[in-house]
Amino acid sequence: LWLECSVAAGGIMAYIVYKRKKPRTIPLGDGWWGVGEKTLSEDQKIYPFQVETSDKEIEDLYERIDRTRYADPLEDGKFHYGFNSTYLKKVVSYWRHEFDWKKQVAVLNKYPHFKTKIEGLDVHFIHVRPPHRENQKVLPIMIVHGWPGSFYEFYKILPLLTQSHDGVVFEVICPSIPGYGFSEASHKQGFNSLAAARIFLKLMERLGFSQFYLQGGDWGSLITTNMAQMKPQCVKGLHLNMCMSNRGFKVLLSLLIGPYLPFLVGLSREDVRRLFPFFEKNVFEMLRESGYFHIQATKPDTAGCGVNDSPVGLAAWILEKFSSWADLKNRDLEDGGLERKFSLDDLLTNVMIYWTTGSITSSMRFYKENLGSNLNNRVDFKTEIFVPTGFAAFPNELMHCPKSWAQIRYRNIQSYTFMPRGGHFAAFEEPQLLADDLFNFVKKVEKS
Amino acid sequence: MWCIFHCYTSLTCLSHVLLALVIGGLIYFLVQRSKNQVLTTEDGWWGSGAPRDAGEDDTIRSFRVTTSDQELEDLYRRIDLTRPFPSLEDSQFNYGFNSQYLQKVVSYWRNEFDWRKQVDKLNQYPHFKTKIEGIDIHYLHVKPKKVPEGTSAVPLIMVHGWPGSFYEFYGLIPLLTDLSNPHNLVFEVVCPSIPGYGFSEAPHKKGFDSVCAARIFHKLMKRLGFQQYYTHAGDWGWLVTTNMAQLEPKTVKGLHLNFAPPSKPGLSMALSMMLGRHFPKLFGFTDFDIQRLFPCMEKLVVESIKETGYMHIQATKPDTVGRGLNDSPVGLAAYILEKFSTWTSHDFRNLDDGGLTRKFSLDDLLTNVMIYWTSGCIISSMRFYKENFGQGLDAPHAKIPVYVPTGFACFPNELMHTPRLWVKQKYRKLVTFTPMDRGGHFAAMEEPQLMAEDIQKFTKIVEGKVKE
Repeated sequence: LWLECSVAAGGIMAYIVYKRKKPRTIPLGDGWWGVGEKTLSEDQKIYPFQVETSDKEIEDLYERIDRTRYADPLEDGKFHYGFNSTYLKKVVSYWRHEFDWKKQVAVLNKYPHFKTKIEGLDVHFIHVRPPHRENQKVLPIMIVHGWPGSFYEFYKILPLLTQSHDGVVFEVICPSIPGYGFSEASHKQGFNSLAAARIFLKLMERLGFSQFYLQGGDWGSLITTNMAQMKPQCVKGLHLNMCMSNRGFKVLLSLLIGPYLPFLVGLSREDVRRLFPFFEKNVFEMLRESGYFHIQATKPDTAGCGVNDSPVGLAAWILEKFSSWADLKNRDLEDGGLERKFSLDDLLTNVMIYWTTGSITSSMRFYKENLGSNLNNRVDFKTEIFVPTGFAAFPNELMHCPKSWAQIRYRNIQSYTFMPRGGHFAAFEEPQLLADDLFNFVKKVEKS
Repeated sequence: MWCIFHCYTSLTCLSHVLLALVIGGLIYFLVQRSKNQVLTTEDGWWGSGAPRDAGEDDTIRSFRVTTSDQELEDLYRRIDLTRPFPSLEDSQFNYGFNSQYLQKVVSYWRNEFDWRKQVDKLNQYPHFKTKIEGIDIHYLHVKPKKVPEGTSAVPLIMVHGWPGSFYEFYGLIPLLTDLSNPHNLVFEVVCPSIPGYGFSEAPHKKGFDSVCAARIFHKLMKRLGFQQYYTHAGDWGWLVTTNMAQLEPKTVKGLHLNFAPPSKPGLSMALSMMLGRHFPKLFGFTDFDIQRLFPCMEKLVVESIKETGYMHIQATKPDTVGRGLNDSPVGLAAYILEKFSTWTSHDFRNLDDGGLTRKFSLDDLLTNVMIYWTSGCIISSMRFYKENFGQGLDAPHAKIPVYVPTGFACFPNELMHTPRLWVKQKYRKLVTFTPMDRGGHFAAMEEPQLMAEDIQKFTKIVEGKVKE
């Protein structure tokens, strides 16, 4: 009996020590992504930046659009074979004859843009201060976009965030991920979300923010999560509209038991509605929708080559996502339901950001850099997040992540909201809903 | 402790016996089920709109590949408008087609490649078109100049794949239709283009899969007056000709392949993957088999994932991925030529030039690309993937074995290595299985001599059997 007791005690102590020793942060590391060798010192100044265009740029675009060689779609193909050719012609006709890029550039420039060099790359961002600061609690927040989006996705939510909500208002920083839009692309291999996270932390530091909130979806959710893992002391709160859940025993168990005894495995009725039938709703759908992911994660240089010459090809590649990821049922529609939630002006402005900067190939490389090695073995996927976290779960998001699954790694979930409508591009589609949830989350964190 | 050991050994003994019984039962059950099944199919119509009531025009029309100044000027203008994006430092072909090397290829294309000369080369064999099931089918028909006395030429249909074309066979055709060696058989060759590829019209309706192509090619051969013929193919052609053998086993005298990935892993294949490394002799594995297959996870799964991105997107969103490629000749070239690099040898991914011109000439490679470019068929060629994979891996033809005499040429750098055991799982009458010394996926284009020799060897054996 004495022997068994001491073995048990020893076991318990070892477990406690093991648990304590588990890292609560991930290493910061360092990097250099510019051309050639690292320079001795780096220019740390922040330069104002204006989006510009020229007649030449627009004429070149029109020439290429006029040279498009369309192919007939299959009869009754709708959007099941990808972007429907017949509808694409309509979009392109609008682009060619009605879309006013000069006007959109003025829209882009309504917020102040800046560039600054970090780790060898020019990092672009917009910095939006709330118009009224007196008697307000001004909270700094960085919002990070994903693919195939850009900082422009946030233009609808920015006015909502910079307006006071019960005495709370945000000061917003929206960077472009290096390799996307106006941020310079890395010249070296290995530029993954950890590098982006570190660069964005340096950016906030350079701007003078020692504590701030973070919001992200798509790649933005991974980057902001990494930021919270690297410097939790700087991150007051992390708000996500997409969660990459772990696989693992707990998830597997909830998949097996979930449909029958959901409450036993921490699934609510809404979770069950969104998750099951799992294979049909998630695995097969994932397979049907992840071809782009597979090719971008393996052959980005090949995939990006053609779409960097063909604006129509680029538009099809990008806008197909704005159709399917807003609602998978859009594939059954002749027009892909594209204009139900978005205006053509907004959609094409986003495409033009990729087109005029020629950044599609570098944006695709981000997939390979992150998924090249087994992601589940990466240090950040084995480390938990202790920063106060809030989730906005939109019903048409690509993959539903129940709170119980998110809790496996996000150990401090302060709010989890089932949103009534909206898909993957939450900030673009439902800015009011997202802004409301963000304010609620932040108020909760500020109170405690 | 002794108690535990004793229980363990008797448990393992028991479990072994149980396992053997289960396996034995399964084998018996499977053997009983695989009878001589024939694949069935219905007629189709792929033209636009509804089929016309009046009978189909079944005339055979001569066809010549043509070009024009306008076509070339348009090509050059687009090449000049290319917006290249530099590849990462030191990344070679690991991120896809290397941008710096692509500029060299494009420079050759723009300044030295002579498309008119290549068009003449294409026209050296007689081309034809004929309407079947509502669409124009293009093909070459090459008759040998002379045939030895008292014999007739052996009819052979050769089917290409993606991203290839009938042009892949241009090195092979002279070797098969030539009479210089009196011991060799002489062939009469038909090389069609799969509908949606090159000069064959693309189907306008959904659902055109490999079985439909097989049915159309049978109709083509019948229209040309052939009652029995041989087939040779790789890549998609493998599946189309296999379907031809499944649809009409009496018509296909022999099936020659250089590519035969197993569509459904059977019991023997699964066992060989688990135990093959330790008991190679049991499964007939050679040293080379072991080297190519094990460790399974790395060699089969990881390698496949690295190289099948194109397949995944083409099988789900062909209209999207093909869209930009139909406007950008450089994009199209990068997309297609990447395969001619990586599928010739995986090691080529680590070379700055992707080893592209080690086995192929730029003229030949660009001629193949030009066939896709001038016909604007890249989107329809990609749809074939969706139509075939759309039903998942459970299509009826995947479950039916092949009883037609089969010859397999096993090239060392083929994408998916299939040892003899795996090929026999589906092709029950494997007459020849030839491990080749060199060559990859585009074997007919890379090693025409080796391929011709193997087709000769296989056909002679089957013809010999028939004479008996």
